[in-house]
Amino acid sequence: MSESAYPIAIFFAAIFTNNILLSNYLGMCSFLSVSRELKTSLGLGIAVIFVMTSTSMLNWVVYYKILEPLGIEYLRFIVFIIVIAAFVQLVEMIIERVSEVLYAALGIFLPLITVNCAILGVSLFMVIRDYTFVESITFGLGSGIGWFLAIMAMAGIRQKLKRARIPHGLEGAGITLIITGMMALAFMGFSGMLQIG
Amino acid sequence: MNAKKNSFMQMQPPMLKVLYALIPLVVAAIYYFGWRFLLVLAVVNAVGILTEYLMARTYSMKVTSSVLVTNFLFALSLPPTIPLWIAVVGIVFGVVFGKMVFGGFGKNVFNPAISGRAFIYISFGVPLTGRFVDPVAGTALRGFAAWTPSIDTVSSVTPLVQQAQGTEFALRDLFLGNLVGSFGETSALLIILGGVYIVWKKSANWHFIAASVVSFLVLYGALFYSGIQGAINPVYALFSGSFLFAAVFMVTDPVSASQTTNLGRWIYGSIFGVMTVLIRVYSGWPEGVTFALLFANMFAPLIDHLIKEQKKKRKEKKAATA
Repeated sequence: MSESAYPIAIFFAAIFTNNILLSNYLGMCSFLSVSRELKTSLGLGIAVIFVMTSTSMLNWVVYYKILEPLGIEYLRFIVFIIVIAAFVQLVEMIIERVSEVLYAALGIFLPLITVNCAILGVSLFMVIRDYTFVESITFGLGSGIGWFLAIMAMAGIRQKLKRARIPHGLEGAGITLIITGMMALAFMGFSGMLQIG
Repeated sequence: MNAKKNSFMQMQPPMLKVLYALIPLVVAAIYYFGWRFLLVLAVVNAVGILTEYLMARTYSMKVTSSVLVTNFLFALSLPPTIPLWIAVVGIVFGVVFGKMVFGGFGKNVFNPAISGRAFIYISFGVPLTGRFVDPVAGTALRGFAAWTPSIDTVSSVTPLVQQAQGTEFALRDLFLGNLVGSFGETSALLIILGGVYIVWKKSANWHFIAASVVSFLVLYGALFYSGIQGAINPVYALFSGSFLFAAVFMVTDPVSASQTTNLGRWIYGSIFGVMTVLIRVYSGWPEGVTFALLFANMFAPLIDHLIKEQKKKRKEKKAATA
């Protein structure tokens, strides 16, 4: 594969073959709790795409321009978390000032995202796999879209489940995890299509 | 429904018609691969019905005849050398996790037969992908006079793989099914006849089949004529592997499909067709039908929901302007 096509391959791989939720099982907690309603899933999904893309960019700059020259890469875990939290706080404040509507739609989800492990996971994968700046952006964007697709599909399925007769012991998280497993089974089909990291 | 006549099983006429359509495939499976298929079919049926019975008892429900369709589809989708215990694992997984955890017939999200098939497909790679055999040959009676195909030919790869590597096949063989492959998927002719029957009897909706086949041919054609490596002639591709079998008998399963509108049916069928092609041509798996169908199942409720919302909005708009 040519050098310039690689970011695009990473983008699709992040959506399908290496879906952050269905093959790495990251970002599970908010996936399980928020997918109950379609509207909230849509809000959180879009917020995740936005934050994932932006923080992978920011963290790339922080890691390669600050941590590495100073030789303190081992601090990356705590620094990445601080960057993500600070960024999310900042965005929340800006959105509150600029747009009431957007704040009402996204506002409640932004704090939730700070503790979403998928966001931190994307930044860490980016370091482990030695991505360039452009690759990091496409990886963040692709992972966000992959997460968005998964939670939308799950929200749709849970709408349908309202009419189902789930056994008592499996209601809620139980059946959701079973369905997530089946979704991951479907995504197994993409394995071998694109290789990244 | 004539539920009174049968105290053990709830009979559903549309499901029974699908079963009738599958009978020629069963006969063909014996003709090509020997009498052992009946044993596989019997074991799968016994275990499948028992599993559903045990689960249904806790809901105080009856076993539905849809489990027979699941059993038949599952058995027909297996490769001829399948060890019986793997078939058992697959059907139990399919019935329990594909159907009963959602509360039984009519509530399931994923097609039970394909759930079980996918589970054993990824768990037991070699028995499911690497041990295909040539059909029984020699006498005019073919498989009717044999128990299994001769095992000398074990590990023949399927026409799907061979064609991707450049071997050419006669279209007639692909069409009639005189080839290496799973029990019931090889004969395109019988599958098409079965499809015509269930569409005619209104057990299946033709939009599903049309959407799957059209999207499959268009994308495969585009890849073939632009010279992508691994893409074979679309018409040959259509008749090889289990695409037709799944498009006719599994995509049309009304429960796990997008079911509200024709638009939804076309979107659903197209997802299946497109995904099959992409997985076949680009991924590490030789056949993409199993995963493509699960993938389509997974998005079906969302498609339905969005179309319904859209309709509601349009109605409200009309009401507001009127």
